[in-house]
Amino acid sequence: MPHASPIVEKALDTLSDVSNGKLDLSWMNSNPKGWGVKATPRDERGLGLEDINRVGNYGIVPEGGSIYGSMAPRGAEIPDDMPSLGCYDINDKSLVWADNVAHLYDEAVARQWSSARDIPWGELKPQREDLEKAMCQVCTNLAEIEFVAGDMPAKWLWHINHDFHEVKLFLASQIFDEARHMEVFRKRALANGGGLLRSSPDSENLLRVILEAPNFTTGSALMHILGEGFVLTLFRNGEMFALGPVEKKMFRLCMQDEARHVAYGTMHLKYFLEKHPERESEIHDILQRGEEATFSLNQTQDTIEARAILMGGGLDHIEEGFKKLGYLFKKQIHEYLYRLKMAGIDRTNRMAIPVELPI
Amino acid sequence: MTKGLSKEFFEELAARANANPDLFRRLGTADMTLVVKVDYADKSDYYELVFAGYQCKGVSQLKSIADAAKGAVVISGPYSAWREMIENIVVNGHADLEHTLNTLTLMDTPLKVEADNQLDADLFYRYQQNLQEFFDGAGRADSSAQTATVQ
Repeated sequence: MPHASPIVEKALDTLSDVSNGKLDLSWMNSNPKGWGVKATPRDERGLGLEDINRVGNYGIVPEGGSIYGSMAPRGAEIPDDMPSLGCYDINDKSLVWADNVAHLYDEAVARQWSSARDIPWGELKPQREDLEKAMCQVCTNLAEIEFVAGDMPAKWLWHINHDFHEVKLFLASQIFDEARHMEVFRKRALANGGGLLRSSPDSENLLRVILEAPNFTTGSALMHILGEGFVLTLFRNGEMFALGPVEKKMFRLCMQDEARHVAYGTMHLKYFLEKHPERESEIHDILQRGEEATFSLNQTQDTIEARAILMGGGLDHIEEGFKKLGYLFKKQIHEYLYRLKMAGIDRTNRMAIPVELPI
Repeated sequence: MTKGLSKEFFEELAARANANPDLFRRLGTADMTLVVKVDYADKSDYYELVFAGYQCKGVSQLKSIADAAKGAVVISGPYSAWREMIENIVVNGHADLEHTLNTLTLMDTPLKVEADNQLDADLFYRYQQNLQEFFDGAGRADSSAQTATVQ
C-alpha cells in the first residue's frame, strides 16, 4: 500500500488494536438514562414514530435543537468532540414543529400508493377532442405546479436541526408524495392519445413566491395552507372533472396526500403563532402576496377554460362549467379561511382577492 | 346483508371491512370518527363509526349529535339519498361514478360533510378511499345474503 494518510493510519491502528484483543467497550456504558426502554406497537399498524416517542426521554423534543449541529440522533450520548456540520441553522422548535407531525409521518408511510399500479390505466377510453384536450391542459398545469411542494421542503430540509427529526421525516414523505403527483398527472396527459399542452407563466409567478419565501414558516403558510389547500379542494372537485374511473382515482388519491400536507401546515402555523404572536403580520403579508398570485394563476385563460370545459362536460356546456367553477372557488376560499382560523389567524376582512368569482 | 339503515347494517359493514385486512392495509391507516346522520321527515338517526388503524373499531347508535365523539366528522342527508347510494353499491358491486361519497357531498347536496373545524372536516378528504371502500362493502358478496338491502 502506498503511504497512508493520518486518518487511514489511525483507523488501521484501531483495527489492529481491536483484532489483537485490546478492547475498549466504553460505548457499552454510554447513555445510561437512555438504556432499558422497550417500545411496543400500539396496535396492528406496527411500530410507529408515535410509539417510540412514548418511551424514556426519547419523545422529549427540545425547544432549541442540539447545539452540536450534527446528525446525532436525538437521545443518543453526544461526545464532547462532536463536530458541527455547519448547515443546521433552524434550531428553534417553533419554526418547524406541529403537534401532529409524528402521526402524519406514520400515516404517510402507511398510505403510500403507486401511480403505476393503483390507477386503473387500462380503463382509459378515447374521449371527445375537447374533453381530452381540456384534461391534458389541466394535467399540464398540475404537473407544472405540483413539485413546488417537493422543492420547497427540500430547500429547507437540510437546514432543520436533527433534533426535530419528525419534521424532517414528514417533509421527506411529502417530497415523495409530490413526486408521485407530478408523475401521475404527466402520465395521464400522455396515456390517452393527447399529450402535454401549454405551461403557464402565471403559475411560475406563484411558484416563485413560494420558493423565495424568506423563511420556512412563511413558505409553509403559502404552500401548505394556501397553495395545497386550494389544490386539495380542487382535487376533491376532481370528481366533477373526471372523465372516468382513471381520473376519479387519480384525484382521490392525490387529495388524500394533500390533506396530510395541509394538516401539517395548519398545525405548524398554529404552533408558530402561539409561540410568536408578534409575527402575525409577517404571515398576513406573505399570504396577501400568495393570494394575489394564486388568484392570478387560477384565472388564467388556459386554466379557467380547460377546467370549465371539464366541469361543464364539454365545450358546448362551458357556461355550466363556469358556474361550477364559481362554486369551487367559493369553497376554496371558505375552507382556506377556516383552516387559517384553526391556526389562529383571521383573514376574513383582509383578503387580497374577491371571495366570489364574478361569473 | 341486513335490511334497512340500522346499527346492525353498519356493524355488518364493519365486519366485512375487518374481514378484508389486505384491502385496508393497502389503503393505509385511517383514524377518525364518522357520524352518519340519516334524516327522515320527523326525526334523524345517528350512527357513529370509529376507524382506527386498519379497522373499523366500533359502531354505535347515538341518541343525538351531542353524543358524538369530539372531532367527529358528520355526513348528513335524507334517507332517500342514503338509500339510493347503498342500492347503487349493491347493484354495481361498488359505487358508480355518480354515487361515491365524494360526489354526493360535493355540492353539499344531497349529502353534506360537517365538522367542528376545517382540520376535522379535512379527515373526510384524507381517508376518502377508506371510507368509500367501507361503504362499498355493501356490494361485496357475502355468505349470509345478497338480496336487496335498504327498505
